[in-house]
Amino acid sequence: MLNPFRTTFGAIFHAEILLNTRRVAPYVMLALFAGNAWLWTAKGAAVHYDWAINCDYFIVRNLAGFQFLTLPLFTALIMADPIGRDFRTGIYPLIFSKPVRRSTYLTAKFCGNFAVLVACMSAFILTMIVLQAFPSEKMLVQPFRVWPFFKYFFFYAVISHLLIASISFTVGTLTRNPKIVYGFIVMLYPFYIIYQLQFLKKLPDYWRHVLDPLAMNAAGDRVKSVDSVTGYIGADLINQMVFSPDSLAITNRVFVVLASLLILAIVYFRFSMIERGGSGADKFALTTIGLDSDSEWLVPAQADAIGETNAIAVRPLNPIDLPKVGLLTDGIRSNLERWRAALAIELRLLKIERGLLIILPMALLLCVVALITFPPPDGPLQTAHYAHRTAEMSLLFLVAIAIMFIGEAMHRDRELRIEPLLWSVPAPNWIFLLSKFAATFLVSMGFSVLLSIAAIIVQISRGRSPLDVLVYPEVFLLILAPTVAVMVAAALMLNVVLREKYVAYAVSFAVAIGLFYLFGQGYKHWSYNVVLYELWTPADLFAPGLKRLVLLRIYALAIAGLCILIAHFFFQRKSKSRST
Amino acid sequence: MRDVSLDIQAGMFGLLGANGAGKTTLMKIAATLLEPDSGTAEIDGIDLIRDKHAGRRLLGYLPQEFGVYPSLTAEQTLDYLARLKGVVDKRERKKLVEVLLDRVNLADARKQKLGTYSGGMRQRFGIAQTLIGQPKLIIVDEPTAGLDPEERVRFHNLLSEIAGDEAVVILSTHIVADVSNLCGQMAIIRKGEILASCSPYEATNKLKGKIWETSVLREEVNALKAKLQVISSHMHEGRVRLRVYALERPNELFELATPTLEDYYFTVSREL
Repeated sequence: MLNPFRTTFGAIFHAEILLNTRRVAPYVMLALFAGNAWLWTAKGAAVHYDWAINCDYFIVRNLAGFQFLTLPLFTALIMADPIGRDFRTGIYPLIFSKPVRRSTYLTAKFCGNFAVLVACMSAFILTMIVLQAFPSEKMLVQPFRVWPFFKYFFFYAVISHLLIASISFTVGTLTRNPKIVYGFIVMLYPFYIIYQLQFLKKLPDYWRHVLDPLAMNAAGDRVKSVDSVTGYIGADLINQMVFSPDSLAITNRVFVVLASLLILAIVYFRFSMIERGGSGADKFALTTIGLDSDSEWLVPAQADAIGETNAIAVRPLNPIDLPKVGLLTDGIRSNLERWRAALAIELRLLKIERGLLIILPMALLLCVVALITFPPPDGPLQTAHYAHRTAEMSLLFLVAIAIMFIGEAMHRDRELRIEPLLWSVPAPNWIFLLSKFAATFLVSMGFSVLLSIAAIIVQISRGRSPLDVLVYPEVFLLILAPTVAVMVAAALMLNVVLREKYVAYAVSFAVAIGLFYLFGQGYKHWSYNVVLYELWTPADLFAPGLKRLVLLRIYALAIAGLCILIAHFFFQRKSKSRST
Repeated sequence: MRDVSLDIQAGMFGLLGANGAGKTTLMKIAATLLEPDSGTAEIDGIDLIRDKHAGRRLLGYLPQEFGVYPSLTAEQTLDYLARLKGVVDKRERKKLVEVLLDRVNLADARKQKLGTYSGGMRQRFGIAQTLIGQPKLIIVDEPTAGLDPEERVRFHNLLSEIAGDEAVVILSTHIVADVSNLCGQMAIIRKGEILASCSPYEATNKLKGKIWETSVLREEVNALKAKLQVISSHMHEGRVRLRVYALERPNELFELATPTLEDYYFTVSREL
């Protein structure tokens, strides 16, 4: 019998596992997921409501939260790039010139990375299992069990994320741009919430279960089936609940697996291992041999010097003297000029970012949909309510833009290997840092402006008067600008300090998720809630609340300034390696 | 790097060494992009470790491997780099970019995105950007690696033209012919140590009367290698042509040969 590890599939599968063991991301995920499980088990609802931490209900409930709140972005992190990486590193001709079938290549790549993902995910469930043996005083534990944890883990989390992994893999493979996948997955959150609220909720129970790809209602619906009025039942009953998958749940999971296979079929049919000639290739050929053969010269001196075999007919270069130019290498004017140049380039590069081209319209669309369905309270502060709603709603997207695009800007020069050219010019470090900061800040603010305009249009079209147009710029300058500044500055600092792009992404998102989790739990003191999430009301835009708001924003800007200073301090403009 | 001290006059200077000899490390230190663990790095009286900014003012650097923004054109990127270098006057900058692109035969491709450039065009673009701002020190690290023969010759012409009376061009390479064709001065580096520093003329002169050549059967090579200091051997018409370093004629099979820079390189690097 053929040893699967000696097949092509086995080789690629093994290589993917090996590559992932060399990455930081899986280890960060293991730590985060274990920490997450500990936090939700030791400090979460089970302790509060006296549920056993190993009862079926709590396991399923925890897994639902885990697979929706924490996991999708990490799934994208692992699954978006395995094929793109081969192209980026240039190893693909070596692989594709071997007798490897497209199906084998794709399947092994997918399976290898999905195995890594599942291994990382299992840190969550393993921590829950271990916590049974080491409970704190407040934790209620039933007799030690293992099988239900794995059963629900595979039934809910693994199968649900098979779908998200398939989407990430397919989009990442076909676009070869992981940023598009990250944008796509960020969009998944609001999309899924809207899908649940606007679509699934209105369907009969059967379809509601079958068409829910993440099976998020499994735990809640079981409780409601016991008490359909309040949806609340006592801890004793909760601890006795058994979640044997019924035919509906199995149908749902089969549906998810089939959808995953269908999505993977798309990548199979669309992906090609053969380069196709296109307009780019034509241009390349034209410019490479575009010299006029009639005007080629033989340069005798060079031909003699390099020997007969290398005597090549070449057209001499134009002997033109370079013009003398004035150089201004020091002083404010010179540095401002450099900063403007760097900013213009950064903006130009951001403008053509495909990820941005997808995220901005989608974010705008989702925000507008949410604004249309927003019912503001009656009263004279209609504009303030709309502006408040707009600011709160855009926060999620602004976080994503800040983290993803500052990360992109900070690492682009290294990835494109243009750093040696840029770093050998006499320009101070702050020019490179502040140009990237300013470009990301301006893009975020541009998004906010567009959203504000959309909000005004929605408000007018819904006849919500009075319209006080000046409130929007006030929110823009007072709330959004400092919020964006502090988020971009913090992401900039993390990228400089951590140096590795994906580590910076993971830590940035973890910090953001952690903070929003704290805010959600009611911990939203102004000292760490610098984005003012749920810390201001529409009434604060007017005296007497305005003064407090201004002070809080000065504080946020000070934090932003501090982050930039730290970034500047740690920014190292030198090579990491000593290649020879 | 170990006790590297080079005194370089204006013109082209070749830094010759095998892969892994430390050429790029030395170039990166000179380009202020790498700090030595200890010691000093000085160019023209400027301390490159303490005053990198001053060093960068007189520097033009073409790394061994460099990238570009693929979505920007050559014109846009050169304009950007010129602004970073301190060419603040817009008209001067425009003229400079135009002349630079003309100088490296990229005028027709100035509106073309850099991502579509061939390897040779990209190297020519690289050399154009090193010339911005009248640098006194131009560092080109393995510039002809990966170029086709035609581009290589074109690149040699360009390099020899830019090394004028005022600028120093340091050419780091492992190709001996590049140094013998282009450089008035040279050094040989191995394991981070400078083994020799002289002109190519002096180098070959030192070996006059000491290089002997013969053509033998393949079976005889090992015996000769055991007895003599063989510098190089290569196949020619089914026989092996051996070049040997010896103060006197080894035997009647050997003829006196004209020394080449390659002979000198092998002699020095093998410490013969």
